Amino acid sequence: MNDAGAVVARRAPAARASPALLRLDNVSRHFGKLQAVQDVSFAMNEGELRAVIGPNGAGKTTFFNLITGFVPPTSGDIWFDGKNIRDRSVVYRVHKGIVRTFQITEVFPDLSVSENVRVGVETAAGLNGRPWLPRHVRGDVERRVDELLDIVGLANKANRTVGELAHGDQRVVEIALALTMNPRLLLLDEPTAGMGDTETDHMVDLVRRLHDERGLSILFIEHDMSIVFGIAQKITVLDQGRVLAEGSAADISANEQVRAAYLGEAQ
Amino acid sequence: MQLLLFNAFNGLIQGVFYALMALGLALILSLNSVINMAHGGFLVIGAYLAYTLAPYLGFWGALVVGPIGAAVIGLFVERILIRPLYKRPDPLYTLLLTFGLALIIEDLTRTIWGAQGLPFQVPAALNSPISSVLFFITGYRLLVVGITMAVMLGLYFLLRYSRLGIRIRAGTLDLETVSALGVNIYLLRALNFGLGCLLAGLAGVLAAGILGLTPPMGSSLIMPSFVAIIVGGVGSLVGSILGGLLIGVAAGITTTYYPAASEAVIYLIMLIVLVIRPRGLLGQEGLFE
Amino acid sequence: MIRRHPVEILLWIALATLPLWLGPLGGYTALGTKILIYGIAALALNLVLGFTGGLSFGHAAYFGLGAYGAGMTLKYLVPSTPLAIVVGTLAGGLAATLLGPLVMRRRGIYFAMITIAIGQLFYFIAVRWNNVTGGEDGLAGFRRQPLHFGSFVFDVQNEIKYYYLVLFCFVIAVVIMRVLLASPLGHTWVAIRENRRRALFLGLRTDLYVWAAFAISGTITALAGTLNAMLFNFTSPQDLHWILSGNFVIMIVMGGMRKFWGPLVGVTIFVVAQDYLSSLTDNWMSLIGLLFVLIVLLFPKGILGLIAPRRREVSTPRAPGIQQADAVLEEDGSPLRDSTKSLREATK
Repeated sequence: MNDAGAVVARRAPAARASPALLRLDNVSRHFGKLQAVQDVSFAMNEGELRAVIGPNGAGKTTFFNLITGFVPPTSGDIWFDGKNIRDRSVVYRVHKGIVRTFQITEVFPDLSVSENVRVGVETAAGLNGRPWLPRHVRGDVERRVDELLDIVGLANKANRTVGELAHGDQRVVEIALALTMNPRLLLLDEPTAGMGDTETDHMVDLVRRLHDERGLSILFIEHDMSIVFGIAQKITVLDQGRVLAEGSAADISANEQVRAAYLGEAQ
Repeated sequence: MQLLLFNAFNGLIQGVFYALMALGLALILSLNSVINMAHGGFLVIGAYLAYTLAPYLGFWGALVVGPIGAAVIGLFVERILIRPLYKRPDPLYTLLLTFGLALIIEDLTRTIWGAQGLPFQVPAALNSPISSVLFFITGYRLLVVGITMAVMLGLYFLLRYSRLGIRIRAGTLDLETVSALGVNIYLLRALNFGLGCLLAGLAGVLAAGILGLTPPMGSSLIMPSFVAIIVGGVGSLVGSILGGLLIGVAAGITTTYYPAASEAVIYLIMLIVLVIRPRGLLGQEGLFE
Repeated sequence: MIRRHPVEILLWIALATLPLWLGPLGGYTALGTKILIYGIAALALNLVLGFTGGLSFGHAAYFGLGAYGAGMTLKYLVPSTPLAIVVGTLAGGLAATLLGPLVMRRRGIYFAMITIAIGQLFYFIAVRWNNVTGGEDGLAGFRRQPLHFGSFVFDVQNEIKYYYLVLFCFVIAVVIMRVLLASPLGHTWVAIRENRRRALFLGLRTDLYVWAAFAISGTITALAGTLNAMLFNFTSPQDLHWILSGNFVIMIVMGGMRKFWGPLVGVTIFVVAQDYLSSLTDNWMSLIGLLFVLIVLLFPKGILGLIAPRRREVSTPRAPGIQQADAVLEEDGSPLRDSTKSLREATK
């Protein structure tokens, strides 16, 4: 399995030639003795729909935390849109367009759906510090909120309190929140976790539409293999903090190491 | 020079009380997630119980029974009033509840024992200075320092090596996991709360021998104990002890030069620490931020 | 701009006519004035407590600084009521603004502890700086002064006229707070209260907004303090003490901290009860303490929370004890987990 990681690592310099949207060069992160992410290199182009899979403890969440800046890397560089962002804060990266959702839904539970989205819209417009808004700006904000609710299909639930919504709808609200920030790279941490079949179908459809119709670059972590193989253009397999394999659905399902380390265990 | 030593030693004694209080507060803070505003109340309970029982049990008996009484009352309070609040994640409620308790305890103390100060007799043998130069070092003061050190050592070994102590420490890190391992976390938290109150009661009895007894003695000792925790670093018991001794001695030394600032200096130290080292001297990264 | 609820219109009518009906009901105008003053302070504190989610337990400091600022201005500088209000408000506001950065990154328990402790600094300064502050006995020897508008004199030394001055300040404070809460700034505060991590990952510098809330709240609280000093022509270290901070918080919780008017309801009940109880029994402190306990155990959502139940119970799926470690535990391989593992083995 070390070979696979090494192959990817060697491939990284080549990737430098093409202008990748996101690139990780030999990134590692240790927590004490625990090596959560080891020497991972990864590149993703604008407009791609990519998946990260791996067994529990493979380092997927740390991988996301490294990209979003929640956790700084122990070593290695992280590039976004041609700039090295390894030392940049979460807030900086969000404003550059790296926006994420969480494995455990993170919304504003006591606010209504439209109030949730409004916070994001105002943030994206840089209005947060304003103690007062002129009427026409407030109108613009409301229109943008409605627009986003239309995109994710929550317009009919705009005034419902988010904490009262079904779990699946709450996760959609979280995606709407992420969209308010005009992401250039949307990171979804297990978007369908804990969802029923219909909810899952709705979410998959939403993710696909965001990619197909809006050309959004999306990177998601997912456990449900049928989803991963169904929509991801390229799949990266993490195992014990390393990249075990990377490729199309066909490549991955044919990969012996992946089957041994992961799929065998799941099936 | 003698005056400075005198004041510094007085400050050290004060610091010992702060440290004992802060230690109990910090234990309760980290495992029970409660800012125990009534901690001064338990100190008062310990002190007045000892005062009341001393004629029957003698000084030494009262010294043992006072803190135990405070702990027993603490266990009741925890069981009846605080336990129902654990399921509310907002620390606001336990803070308000213990705040109310602090008011009640102080007021009832005043009603039962009177508002005026009462003396707490310590054995005459302990009251004489050990030398004429160091006139301020009496046997009792040495006893206070000695008992406190013994208790802190005992607590260290308890937390380090006993099953209860290990569970308490694990619980402060991740209560969920400890619970999942089958430890009764309600019992664990109750015992921890009792332990904290025991320390407060002990501080009360020891302080009574030097400062005498007054109903507000608890509320005047609790704020410096908060400061001790903040200065020492939230989440670090050693830090709380260190913080208590540090501000006690600093206040004592300040008394020599500028008595009016002896209380304010405690809070100034806290501000300086918060600016230079926001986590406190020995605080852990990430906790409570 | 903001739709008015019929009850709110009734409230304003009641406040505007208070001196007419409070007397016959057995009260006195100064009691109404005190309710409005404490109301300003509690509504302002609630910007931090109820709307931003910061557990400030030290707001008496800013209240007291306002009071001392006003009293000392009248006593030592200029006998002018408006100037006393301005100086006191700025003194308290400045302190809150300068101290805000020390607390803005903290959460929950730690926020509460630091705000409590910082407040005590000013208490001890007031107690020990005798020759200026009057020490333990408090600051006396000043009087609120009539207001001059050209040749027209509004003599606020009259209790009823002072009530209307306070009501005027109350209206201004309320308008400012309502406008803020309806603005993006207010939305940001509520977002931070609701979910600080989500707010951070929306690209919000949460600490700066907490700071703003703290500074604004402290300033308005200081305004209340100036009015309080001039109501009694007296202020004492008790106006800076943490017991008063705690009282403000319980008033807010009693009324309902998630509603704009909740604090005013709590203040009214608290001030009237304190006034009544302290004339009835020496043990009123125990009764107030009991009130704390009962409210926490029985009415945690406050009175307005009972009338109009909140839409959803505030609860997170996480056990209370571990929320402190929240941010770190999020990581699958955090150092905290790591050290737990060794402890876990030891516990077996």
